Amino acid sequence: MSEQQEISLSILKKRWLKFKTLKRGYYSFVLLAILYVLSWFLPLLVNNRALVLSYEGEMYFPVISGYYAGSEFEQDVPGEAIYRELQAAWESEGSDNWIIMPVYPYSPYEDITVAGNKMYDPPSNTHWLGTDNTGRDVFARLCYAFNISISFALVLTVLNYFIGVLIGGSMGYFGGKFDLFFQRIIEIWSSLPMLFVIIIISSIIRPSFFLLIFIYTIVNWIGMTYLMRAEFYREKSKDYVAAALSMGQTNFKVMFKHILPNAMVPIITFFPFAVVGGISALVSLDYLGFGMPPPTPSWGQMLDVGLQNITKAWMVFAPISALFSTLIMVVFIGEAVREAFDPKVYSRLR
Amino acid sequence: MNKNTLVDVKNLSVHFPVHGGVFSKRVATVKAVDGINFSIDRKQIVGMVGESGCGKTTVGRAMINILRHVAPDVEIGGSIEYHFGDEVVDFAKLSSSEVRKYRSRVQMIFQDPYASLNPRMTVAQIISEPLQLHTNMTNKEQTERVGWLLDKVGLQPEQARRYPHEFSGGQRQRVGIARALATNPDLIICDEPVSALDVSIQAQVINLMMDLQDEFDVSYLFIAHDLSVVEHISDKIAVMYLGDMAEYGNAQDVYHQPRHPYSKALLSAVPLPDPSRKDRKRIVLEGDVPTPLNKPSGCAFRTRCPIAQPSCAESKPEFKEQAKDHFVACPLVE
Repeated sequence: MSEQQEISLSILKKRWLKFKTLKRGYYSFVLLAILYVLSWFLPLLVNNRALVLSYEGEMYFPVISGYYAGSEFEQDVPGEAIYRELQAAWESEGSDNWIIMPVYPYSPYEDITVAGNKMYDPPSNTHWLGTDNTGRDVFARLCYAFNISISFALVLTVLNYFIGVLIGGSMGYFGGKFDLFFQRIIEIWSSLPMLFVIIIISSIIRPSFFLLIFIYTIVNWIGMTYLMRAEFYREKSKDYVAAALSMGQTNFKVMFKHILPNAMVPIITFFPFAVVGGISALVSLDYLGFGMPPPTPSWGQMLDVGLQNITKAWMVFAPISALFSTLIMVVFIGEAVREAFDPKVYSRLR
Repeated sequence: MNKNTLVDVKNLSVHFPVHGGVFSKRVATVKAVDGINFSIDRKQIVGMVGESGCGKTTVGRAMINILRHVAPDVEIGGSIEYHFGDEVVDFAKLSSSEVRKYRSRVQMIFQDPYASLNPRMTVAQIISEPLQLHTNMTNKEQTERVGWLLDKVGLQPEQARRYPHEFSGGQRQRVGIARALATNPDLIICDEPVSALDVSIQAQVINLMMDLQDEFDVSYLFIAHDLSVVEHISDKIAVMYLGDMAEYGNAQDVYHQPRHPYSKALLSAVPLPDPSRKDRKRIVLEGDVPTPLNKPSGCAFRTRCPIAQPSCAESKPEFKEQAKDHFVACPLVE
């Protein structure tokens, strides 16, 4: 019995097993997945606020509860407490107060110039990738920008595909006037010069994460409709669809329970490349200065500042290598996915 | 027409408009089915034969009302009256949402067992889908029913967890039969159910279908182009030519004493594994089947008919009961 179950794998499971054998893509996938999951816990890992602080018998959790003025801990600073200095001071005094700091105790927003002029600090043990033109830690910014880039690309791609599948699928499935109408709309829509539209919109409205996703979705949902329209058009004439209809299944169920699982190939194979496109789109907008509002950490903005200070090599090197390695890992995943969906076996990519 | 009638097809026509030109004007009409009459009684097997393109499959698909799915602008005329108990339902007039609640009464077995099963669903999911739609069975009852059905069609209930691609053609067709039987339908439309199978498997599947017909008290509309198969299984035979019905009657009458010249030609083409009948006269028809876009006037068969008269071009021959229960659309053989 158990042996039989082993044989009966769905096609998707088989492809997943094949994907796992393609080491380069699989390891890229695992590494990126781990890094992305970790990046959601960045405030606990890379932050200038203390994780736990014990001051005169009382416990504080600045990472969670937020702002504490320096005066609360008898620190003579304007505004928020500087926990690194508190920690150093308490340790040298040997007092009963103690602090547990995150692994990397700098924040992407923190202007370190306050604590001594640290602009353009080259990489060192304290600042792994140096500091930038306003004295912010490059490594901290790099990490936070990773989370924002990947989240942006994933949300954008999922949203695009959702709309693309819905509209493209309906076009292919219902055909007729509905198809004709949307096809014309898409033709008109896709002929607009979208980069300029985005630049104009973001120069009028101050862009945010979701506004940028919204703008990009308005532009990018079209790509999937072509593929989905063709897939649904082909699948709907097959007999299993006629069988589902003849037993009284509704159109909605036929589309999403019967046809969509058979039309997943373009969605899955294009997904990594769409993510690459999403990351690059955000980087280029940020680079041009129409993306996320400062001081949001972003690779594009870091690249821009780095190029203005080309002699400070670390400021250029850091975002470029982060961008490059992320993109190439996503491409490796995409390549392996394509290979896993290919019924023919090529040994070159293994 | 008696009280045993399950479905009464009257003057059924299925026309597909053809659009062309700059403004997509209607330039022609494909008359796939052009006014046919027949009826199917309960527990009866009606075989339907004809060349490819004569409209057999279209009749079958019209009878389960799924033509509009692929061709939304199809024109369906006449009536397809089902008698479900006291209810009379005309499938030719109902929209696809109105027809939904009667779907469990009429099911279909498809020609290609490779295309008619969703490759992403297990056999259990495929067979239990009609149960989910038309019954209030719990999951456990559904699983039991699926196992029971699989057993009935000669598969092991343990195979329910498998995917269609793990089965052979004959086994897949058995799955298709199990799916059609799941809701205890009154009529199953079998659209060339065995023509994609090996000859040795064909016999198994046909015998299985006959056994199941006895057990489930279901009627079949058995569409095929293999006359010997149809003669083996059918109570009645309908012969179609180019969207028209040429002959309709009891299987024995039509098979052994065909009246319509087309039926005669068709039957003379059946290979007989009997060397002593080597001298049997073979009627070879001249020319090709005309296109249903531009059918000949009068009798559609007259362009190839060995006994055609000038009068055949004038009007469409009447589909007339020439002997008891034996309808023929040819006045020349009366």
